[in-house]
Amino acid sequence: MLSYPTVRASLLFLAIAVAGLFVADIAITTANPWRDLGQFFIGVATPNFFSTEGLLTALLRTVAFGFVGVALGSFFGFLLALVYRLLPVRIFCAFIRAIHELFWALIFLQFFGFHPLTGVLAIAIPYAGIFAKVYSEILEESDPEPSRLLPPGTSAIASFLYARIPDCWVQIRTYTAYRLECGLRSSAILGFVGLPTLGFYLESSFSQGMYSDAGAMLILFYVLIATMPIWVRPKLLPAYLLAAPFFLGEGFPIVWGNVERFFTEDIVPSPLRNGEGLAGLSSWLGDVMITEALPGIWNTVVLTQIALVATGLLSLLAFPLISKHFTGPVRRTSGHVFLVIARSTPEYILAYILLQLWGPSMLPAVVALALHNGGIIGHLIGRQTNTIELRPDAPAGFTRYSWELVPRVYRSFLAFLFYRWEIIMRETAILGILGIYTLGFYVDSAIQNIQFDRAMILILITASLNIGVDVLGRYIRRKLALQTMPTC
Amino acid sequence: MITKQIRKWLVSGFLTLAVATTASAQTFVFTAIPDEDETKLVERFRGIADYLSEQLEVDVRYIPVKSYAAAISAFRNNQVQLAWFGGLSGVQARALVPGSEALAQGIEDQAFYNYFIAHKSTGLERADELPEGVRGKTFTFGSKGSTSGRLIPEYHIRDRFNEAPETVFSRVGFSGNHTRTLRLVESGTYDVGALNYKVWEKELEDGNINTDDVKIIWKTPGFPNYQWTIRGDVDERFGEGFKNKVRQALLDLDDPALLESFPREGFIPASNDDYEPIRSVASELGIID
Amino acid sequence: MSGFAFNDLRASFGDKRVVGPLSLEVQQGQHVALVGKSGAGKSTLIKLLYERLTHQASLVPQGLGLVNALPVFHNVFMGQLDKHPLWYNTLTLIRPFRKDRDTVGALLNKLSISDKQWTPAASLSGGQRQRVAIARALYRNANILLADEPISALDEPMAHLVMKALTDQFSTSVIALHDVDMALAYCTRIVGIQDGRIALDQPASELQAADIMALY
Repeated sequence: MLSYPTVRASLLFLAIAVAGLFVADIAITTANPWRDLGQFFIGVATPNFFSTEGLLTALLRTVAFGFVGVALGSFFGFLLALVYRLLPVRIFCAFIRAIHELFWALIFLQFFGFHPLTGVLAIAIPYAGIFAKVYSEILEESDPEPSRLLPPGTSAIASFLYARIPDCWVQIRTYTAYRLECGLRSSAILGFVGLPTLGFYLESSFSQGMYSDAGAMLILFYVLIATMPIWVRPKLLPAYLLAAPFFLGEGFPIVWGNVERFFTEDIVPSPLRNGEGLAGLSSWLGDVMITEALPGIWNTVVLTQIALVATGLLSLLAFPLISKHFTGPVRRTSGHVFLVIARSTPEYILAYILLQLWGPSMLPAVVALALHNGGIIGHLIGRQTNTIELRPDAPAGFTRYSWELVPRVYRSFLAFLFYRWEIIMRETAILGILGIYTLGFYVDSAIQNIQFDRAMILILITASLNIGVDVLGRYIRRKLALQTMPTC
Repeated sequence: MITKQIRKWLVSGFLTLAVATTASAQTFVFTAIPDEDETKLVERFRGIADYLSEQLEVDVRYIPVKSYAAAISAFRNNQVQLAWFGGLSGVQARALVPGSEALAQGIEDQAFYNYFIAHKSTGLERADELPEGVRGKTFTFGSKGSTSGRLIPEYHIRDRFNEAPETVFSRVGFSGNHTRTLRLVESGTYDVGALNYKVWEKELEDGNINTDDVKIIWKTPGFPNYQWTIRGDVDERFGEGFKNKVRQALLDLDDPALLESFPREGFIPASNDDYEPIRSVASELGIID
Repeated sequence: MSGFAFNDLRASFGDKRVVGPLSLEVQQGQHVALVGKSGAGKSTLIKLLYERLTHQASLVPQGLGLVNALPVFHNVFMGQLDKHPLWYNTLTLIRPFRKDRDTVGALLNKLSISDKQWTPAASLSGGQRQRVAIARALYRNANILLADEPISALDEPMAHLVMKALTDQFSTSVIALHDVDMALAYCTRIVGIQDGRIALDQPASELQAADIMALY
């Protein structure tokens, strides 16, 4: 077994995660975690849909921000995809997608304030970076033969429209629709920093222990996501897109002076602003690095590695839930429901809920990341096993699991896992806003102290860390010859 | 069916748009730091908005925000013109907006104080100074940008132990606001916490505290705290003498229900200089540059 | 002016020489059939010729090169994308003009697939797909036809129809064929390929099927 590179890689990551457990802060610090969890489930079971007058508006805003953000993101992402082979474009896209939606929102809040543009751009910018990458991959994989056959002298655009786009259209559409679902999740969590989406009310009711209100919002959110195939129809899309901008809410007018001030003063490192020169700058930078960046990076990396392995283990445990080789249709349906809930709940909301219930430590974050990401990978792998035909006399039970199925899906399992490595790290960093000492904690602190120069440096460090893991993940996937389709 | 639905949405969308344009015309907007449960804040400040609207004869709107920094940014960006700040957030906001000034403070805010509270399992008792026994316990502040939830407690912890909170305590957290600090210590999630005495006393009065589980272990010396702060340019925008009208309206506020919701006895004039002690402590702790 | 002569045609795959070096001269008016075992180098030779002739040649490659997601009409229309401005092509993508619909329709009618004009290429059978690629080559209407096994998936009556249409429209052609009788019936010259070189080059009228079978 040890001669397989995939097995060796898995064991190496497992060992790193186990080592991480020894240095990580893993604890349940609440006195009655199970009572609180019980109360939460009772709340979900007895939802109160009429608590907040703004609930329906919030739901509408969540959809509107999601639509406008994803639409703009896909438009600009597509344009970028056309020139994606240029190195500066690739670097630019890697950079903008390495910064989480919530960080973008926190940045825009400082100068656009509560203007709808803040929420729209917070989704559109990172999504444009992701769209650019995935669209360009899809375009690259299209059959090159038809364009070779076109009469010489055909314009590049006509050739693109006829020979490239139609071939990729279905894939582009499927992926965009899939991202729209992600966009709704992103839109919902923007409420946690004050935009008028679902997260705003969820945070309020949750922090005040109003679990029935919170339960109602979660249920509405699941229904919204689960019914997407019904209400998102190609024919209705233009209508949605035209209407969505009108549902973003009122907000406040933008004062352009604030924008200028942000870029020319706020984010300029304070030693430079105060004329202390390069000497001042280097001691300032040293201070940021030692007191904030390094502890933040350390915690982010440790938490990411633990969460990555936990995600892997959970996916391997979860996929039989929806695999036809293990369960009948009835149990499979409940398996589907579980996985849909796990993957539709943004990890930020899961982590927030668990933090409230179990108290602050890395544990709630690990569980939240594992549930969400494990739900996604478990779903994909489970679906993949359903295309496998086993011989009639194949063993049953655990032997079937360990001898027949896991070996067949292990490579794609690893591919998905390494693909999500960077996503897990991006989320890990952002969970710091909730009070875990990852990079997001220090970014949030700097913003709370109105030190945007520090916040900016820390966000840039977070972005570089994400890019680094992205590159490493791709290197490992290439090294192990793993292939995958993008997930979000 | 679906088209009808869309039409309905479109109509309400245009309505929101219409509201947006009128709202931006000449609405006087204010906010407040989210130091307590949001339901309470919304209830309290909607009352204030109605009161001010009546007194000032302009549209007055309150917007809730999710963090102290968001309140300061909204004030700085002129998206709100008036704010109910804590001591520290007021100092930060006024430093960022030249010409802005502290208008009025609660009578109690001249000498505000904090309680350090502890869960019963710690066995800590009330003392004249912060007990040595808190060392090694878990501790929660309120919000990162809070005066009574962060600045003053941190100042006293450093003063008492000559060490950073992270080394005095085994775990340091930020609950988010005073109500949550109370709940988290009451439930034993944290051993020790620090909160605004007003929140403690109001909750106690309303019968929301189980005093068998949580008790006060130390009361800090007084410091200046909450105040109404207004931007310097409101006179240009809302007419000569507007600032004074706002100040007068606040000082005249005598509706017992509204005052009780803060809770304050009443409001008295305040000035920027009143908050110099807060500024110097914040600068000592490196919270402001 | 649609004859051509190329010297030193050669192609390798890795270290292995697949074609040539060889010379090939084709006069205007000749219909050349390339025959030989599969793997002899016929397809590669067709490709080499297309690389040199691009502007003058209509190509029917073995892989057909259809855009599966587009309807038959657009796949055929692609043969003349260079003749129209961009706005015209873009509009056609959304809603074709009547004039083009008629022209393409007539062409498809000739190949008896006019009922499939608006069907996406993906849902056609192998023989139908082959005829779409042929219709595209006819619509392109270049001087020379280069075709690689254009009738491999067609039944006999259809194969005759297609070969007749191709040889009628193009004055000059090079067609790789595995069906020796078809080659003798429609082409004027037979070129036999063996191990990447020309092993036989005779007018069709001077050959019998048996002479060619020696190559296989």
